[in-house]
Amino acid sequence: MSDGLVKILDGNTFVVSDARGDMEASLTDPTGLFSYDTRFLSKWVLTINGERMNSLSVDDLQYFETRYFLVPGTGTVYVDAKLSVIRRRAVGNGFHEELTILNHDDKQIDLSVRLDAACDFADLFEVKDALQKKGKYSEKVEGGKLVLSYDRETFRCSTAISTSKSARIDKQGLTFKIRIRPHGTWSTQIDVAAMPFGTGEARQAESSSNSQRRMRTNLARWIDTAPRLESDSDSLKRTYRRSLVDLAALRFSPLIAGGRSLPAAGLPWFMTMFGRDSILTSLQALPFSSELSATTLRALADWQGVGLDDFRDEDPGRILHEMRYGELTAFEERPHSPYYGTADATPLYVVLLDEYERWTGDRALVRELEVEARAALAWIDDYADLPGDTGYVWYQRRNEKTGLENQCWKDSWDSISFRNGRLPGFPRATCELQGYAYDAKLRAARLARLVWKDPTFADRLEKEAADLKRRFNRDFWVEDGEYFALALDPEGKQVDALTSNNGHLLWSGIVDKSKAKAVARNLLGPRLFSGWGVRTLARGEGRYNPIGYHVGTVWPFDNSFIAWGLRRYGFKDEAAAIAAGILDAAEFFDGRLPEAFGGYERTETMYPVQYPTACSPQAWSTGTPLLLLRTMLGLEPQGENLVVDAALPSAIGRLELLDIPGRWGRIDAFGRGRVDVERRGR
Amino acid sequence: MPAVTFDPTAEFFAELGSRGREPLLTKVTGSARFDILDGKATKRWLLTIDEGELRVSRRNAAADCILRAQKSAFDRAAVGKLNLMAAVLRGEVEVRGDPRLLVLLQRLFPRPSRDSRGKR
Repeated sequence: MSDGLVKILDGNTFVVSDARGDMEASLTDPTGLFSYDTRFLSKWVLTINGERMNSLSVDDLQYFETRYFLVPGTGTVYVDAKLSVIRRRAVGNGFHEELTILNHDDKQIDLSVRLDAACDFADLFEVKDALQKKGKYSEKVEGGKLVLSYDRETFRCSTAISTSKSARIDKQGLTFKIRIRPHGTWSTQIDVAAMPFGTGEARQAESSSNSQRRMRTNLARWIDTAPRLESDSDSLKRTYRRSLVDLAALRFSPLIAGGRSLPAAGLPWFMTMFGRDSILTSLQALPFSSELSATTLRALADWQGVGLDDFRDEDPGRILHEMRYGELTAFEERPHSPYYGTADATPLYVVLLDEYERWTGDRALVRELEVEARAALAWIDDYADLPGDTGYVWYQRRNEKTGLENQCWKDSWDSISFRNGRLPGFPRATCELQGYAYDAKLRAARLARLVWKDPTFADRLEKEAADLKRRFNRDFWVEDGEYFALALDPEGKQVDALTSNNGHLLWSGIVDKSKAKAVARNLLGPRLFSGWGVRTLARGEGRYNPIGYHVGTVWPFDNSFIAWGLRRYGFKDEAAAIAAGILDAAEFFDGRLPEAFGGYERTETMYPVQYPTACSPQAWSTGTPLLLLRTMLGLEPQGENLVVDAALPSAIGRLELLDIPGRWGRIDAFGRGRVDVERRGR
Repeated sequence: MPAVTFDPTAEFFAELGSRGREPLLTKVTGSARFDILDGKATKRWLLTIDEGELRVSRRNAAADCILRAQKSAFDRAAVGKLNLMAAVLRGEVEVRGDPRLLVLLQRLFPRPSRDSRGKR
């Protein structure tokens, strides 16, 4: 892996270690065993006769298991290894480790094998922000186990370490005094069980062999049921395979979902339920798997806001932003139980519900979620129009201490600015939110007619949508640049920077036909298009920085929706150009697109520069190649059929996507690369 | 005659019992028992939900979801001063059984902030 760390995971439990399998975490270092946003093991170091191991190789068997091949010694000089050590580790309820030592000598050997263990029980937020703990630590040896605990008032986390072979256990670890005969082997099984808060009964401990079998079968089924991709482009095949496997890894089962899964946001910080990320990833993956959408829709419905809570920025009908389980959330030092401060998840929820029905024909779910969908639509009208009389969606946090300032996908502090770099006041109405609201109303109107049998409601929604579109095209249109302003400020003035948000507007359909061409020209123009993709903020704007998080980098997920938007307005070649750029970039990352990469001109750097602390893999980056495939093939459900209208970059050559699941059963799509993307966007 | 004191927990269940149908729970059928520890005594309330129809009793019966907390904690939950999920995460409220029901039960509890902007 690019950062030299080895990660394995299952749901929201993951293990990050070095290439030896060791963990030596500090408060700011993200190695260790993590579960439910809490670190359950921060030190795990193997020594033999006092010597650390040296890594020969690491075998990533599956996303949930790894094997480390080691020899004792520092590795600075050639070691004539008489011993080999194999650590095979799989994530389960914590993790399970099989430690094997092989004696290659023709003499028997006596060894002292030591595993040092300790835990800081850090909340992931603490690891991220380097905060200090308020509770008490304890270690004890009981019933043949080493139990590490952390207590703060009623809050308790513990980790229990046990082994199949007898060991001398002390409060700092385990020691095995062993003798291995000539050419013999010694092996032990070690269990590290994470026991978070009060979920003991909800999480039935599963035997490690069972859980590994389950995960293996599950991954195999996931890959088997996904459409098969055939292409002249080996790179594309690799990227597709990588996306499927990573998406499998990023599936997360919230306790309430009864074992079904939805996409979590990303490793290592975001293995949790996010409204926006889960919805957008589900949308990207719909042509490949509808299960993620169904679970996301149900889980977010259960958590939909019902009242006002200023600390959590909760409103009735609002869809959550982020759920967390760690200590800081538990003691309400952070509002994530859950936190509702997002303005896009609620309209996007309705968008996903409709898109899901268009692919699957599952009207039962649309009926089941009618109340929630109506509550989401009511939120747009009753709670999102903060000034009260504008008919737009705005945001302003009520939790001014730990809430989010920017409640759109560009959620860093400086993401919303005027051309000259000045930051507007609050509330803010960013443009893409209006697009999502427009799309939500139109899509809900379709569902109201088709499923909820409420044509009056449908008429009203369509009228409101048409009105919103008319006002939006008047109020947000920047005449001298021929694009849509990033936002309106509290005085209703245009926040006039040129940004990638324009692409989301095409996706939503809120753009007047007469303006679409100019918008597409800007997206593919030299200020926004880097050659790899569309920058978040255009070159030449006050805050432009090619490695600024939301002010100049290229986000793969952003580009996948921009490409979808371009297709929607008939700009097939432009969509293909973006797909080609992003898929070319994927090749540099072994098929695993990072969250973001630098906005440098492609001709300057020749390779995409990864953003320094980007999460990887990250759900909506993982979903990006999937949505780009949909876009390039022009896949569009129409009634009971799937329409295919391919426009592929010529470099891809032949492309076949076989067995695409949906209301039609399974359908194959074919295309051949004919779009010369070199002519585009330069 | 004992002094009449405000008992938020008892008030909360009395109100739930008289609420009848809860529109936010029309898709929910299940039962929850609340074991409230008050000194040495444990007071129990059993809430059954039948497609949103609420019934409250003091029966000590098996339930899909069982919540257990000190009365002082529950008194705060009953008036919107304690967030149930955060309390579960820090072990102040213990829960056994169906976690999804726990999430949905939160809809029955008042929120801490007034609806000042409210519906227009």
